[in-house]
Amino acid sequence: MKAKNRATAVLIHFILAVLAVIWLIPIVWLLVTSFSAYKGMNTSRFFPETWTLWNYKMMLFEPDTVAQFGAWFKNTLVIAIFTCLISTSFVLMTSYAISCMRFKGRKALMNIAVMLQLFPGFLSMIAIYFILKSVNLTNSHLGMILVYSGGSALGYLVAKGFFDTIPTSLREAAYLEGASEAKTFITIVLPLSKPIIVYTVISSFLVPWTDFIFAKIMLNSGVSENWTVAIGLYNMLNRNLLPNYFSRFCAGGILVGIPIGILFIIMQKFYVEGITGGSVKG
Amino acid sequence: MSKPASGNPVAGFFRAIGNFFKEFGSAVAKGDWGVKASLLISGMGWLKRGQIIKGILVTLLEIGVIAYELMIGFPYIAKLGTLGTVEQAMVYNPNTMKNEVNDYDHSLLILLFGVISLVTLLVAIVLWMANIKAAYELQKRAEAGKHINNFKEDISVMMNGKFHITLLFLPIMGIIIFNIMPLIVMIAIAFTSYDQNHMPPAALFTWVGFDNFKSLFTSNLTTTFGYSFWKVLGWTLIWACLATFTTYIGGILLSLLINHKLTRVKKFWRTAFVVAIAIPQFVTLLVMRSFFANTGLMNKFCEAIGFTGLMQKLGWVSTNYIPFLTDPTWAKITIILINIWVGVPYLMLIATGVLMNIPEELKESARIDGANSAQIFRHITMPYMLFITGPYLVTQFTANINNFNVIYLLTNGVYVTTDQKLAASNAKEVDLLVTWLYNLTSGQYNYKMAAVIGIMVFIVCALFTLIAFNYLIKGDKEEAFR
Repeated sequence: MKAKNRATAVLIHFILAVLAVIWLIPIVWLLVTSFSAYKGMNTSRFFPETWTLWNYKMMLFEPDTVAQFGAWFKNTLVIAIFTCLISTSFVLMTSYAISCMRFKGRKALMNIAVMLQLFPGFLSMIAIYFILKSVNLTNSHLGMILVYSGGSALGYLVAKGFFDTIPTSLREAAYLEGASEAKTFITIVLPLSKPIIVYTVISSFLVPWTDFIFAKIMLNSGVSENWTVAIGLYNMLNRNLLPNYFSRFCAGGILVGIPIGILFIIMQKFYVEGITGGSVKG
Repeated sequence: MSKPASGNPVAGFFRAIGNFFKEFGSAVAKGDWGVKASLLISGMGWLKRGQIIKGILVTLLEIGVIAYELMIGFPYIAKLGTLGTVEQAMVYNPNTMKNEVNDYDHSLLILLFGVISLVTLLVAIVLWMANIKAAYELQKRAEAGKHINNFKEDISVMMNGKFHITLLFLPIMGIIIFNIMPLIVMIAIAFTSYDQNHMPPAALFTWVGFDNFKSLFTSNLTTTFGYSFWKVLGWTLIWACLATFTTYIGGILLSLLINHKLTRVKKFWRTAFVVAIAIPQFVTLLVMRSFFANTGLMNKFCEAIGFTGLMQKLGWVSTNYIPFLTDPTWAKITIILINIWVGVPYLMLIATGVLMNIPEELKESARIDGANSAQIFRHITMPYMLFITGPYLVTQFTANINNFNVIYLLTNGVYVTTDQKLAASNAKEVDLLVTWLYNLTSGQYNYKMAAVIGIMVFIVCALFTLIAFNYLIKGDKEEAFR
């Protein structure tokens, strides 16, 4: 039995090691290429011939007409902060109302929300583009913030699942002591909801960093300074630019990937609870 | 409290609307002069009972809506029927003695603001009716000698019994403006002739009924949409099934491996896979695209280990490289494989969370009864997994139907179709309905067909979700954990 266990353990670790290598190869390649002195994509070898920090120096301190990483980062950060504030409040407000309160039309609202989400996202995005264009808000940060946070309440399900698990007795005790619904929400339910608040804050903060397509539709002026990180980096892989910018693209990918990755790893703890509708305890 | 929904929800919906009108009618009939005056000046009912601030606010809102509709709304609504008749042209202006652009109709703006104004008008009418009903309720309270709230008390009601209205007001406004109205506009565009040849402001477009839907199903010398639609729909469904299924199974297997009792440093393994998905998708997918390019590293590697030669011998590859992302069949396989790479870590996380929660006693007693690992997996682990993640699977399937990122980032600018019929309708073998929709709008400006395809995506997703939720997932566990 012991020998069999040993063999199984070796086999498991071997498979895991192979899989981990497969999963990490692209990331490692991204990392090492970002230190490559060769500007284009080196297809003859995995590791760079000469190592350098030049790509990072260029991306961070010496923007040119193509690569304006600093400006992109700042744009995305501003958009992300405001999106995060608005989306988080919308989501928490909606979830509380739907989860903890009972009112006429509640089920109907939930059904409408399900239905709306069955339409492909950028079908409405095309019309939003026209609407924002008619009030001169395309190619602006305000426009992007509105695009990302406007309909964010539709993503209320995860937080609602969490609120569903907060015992009703807690709220009832508060009502008995004469607390209003608003006071119960702010002083009883919210302090108990730290995990879901962290989840909502981080996930809505990540949207502008990871979204690619909405930004591409809205920020179409061609002025590189106005772009977000995603479209900026995408543009660097343009057929004409790639030979000169591939290693800098990798550096940019690492620069944005590290902070986003850290946030993601913090968030993933709450991600599971969210997906399973709060039914996973412990 | 709402009454428990009995029978058909659709019938219940219409019954609720019927009741709304009935109550409105009786409020008008039985109301005193204050209520009747509210028909004209909305605040009168409130003013009469001493609710001055509320009365003034309601009246101001009414004036605002009427002013908007008169000045901006109605001119657009009036043109909605034709979407404009005056084409843009240069007209000689005798006053300035110059050629000037005439006062032309902009079909798109007419459609946009027509819809917005119409929705506003409908909402205003409903509010107006609700206001009269509320005024009548107030009259009844006054006649019964009950207490009438002052403004401060009204505010505190909004923070208490009617707190949901306070909470939901802004989020729902956001959804109406950024989801519902745009969707109405896009659905409307599916019934117009808005395309490259009918681009405002230079040209007008107009209503064409179901013509666009007909052309989505026809295939002849001038249009190949029928041919492309079935091809793209087929691949979309295959893709959604494969992508959902492979990542689901892969994720469960990976999490079983990581959480096996013999596995050491579980946390290390988990982190290794999470790192792969922590980097934003557009970065990793673009890296993958370069990795799998015809002249990329993967091809160099395959050549070195003789894989390319083997494929050539088998006749699966006719070039001296492997067309990972440029040949229809190879590209589809590569995309599915890369999607496994992208999706498995997520499922691993979820499966880990769920597996940890399977009651250990359950597995233990099965083991005592002589069940082996495979049996435990089939009869305990999988059913439990499916029960918890069922709804997630359904949403994941529809999310994959709409999975724009993977397909677009991997194939845009890399994959070129050789199928003339597909190319004629701007589709590719590897396109999903959504990426096709995008291709039609960007560069082609074929908004009418894009809108039609969007509606098709909705129909596919809605059908699937309805079936799945009716047959696969039973019961409402909303209150199960309280």
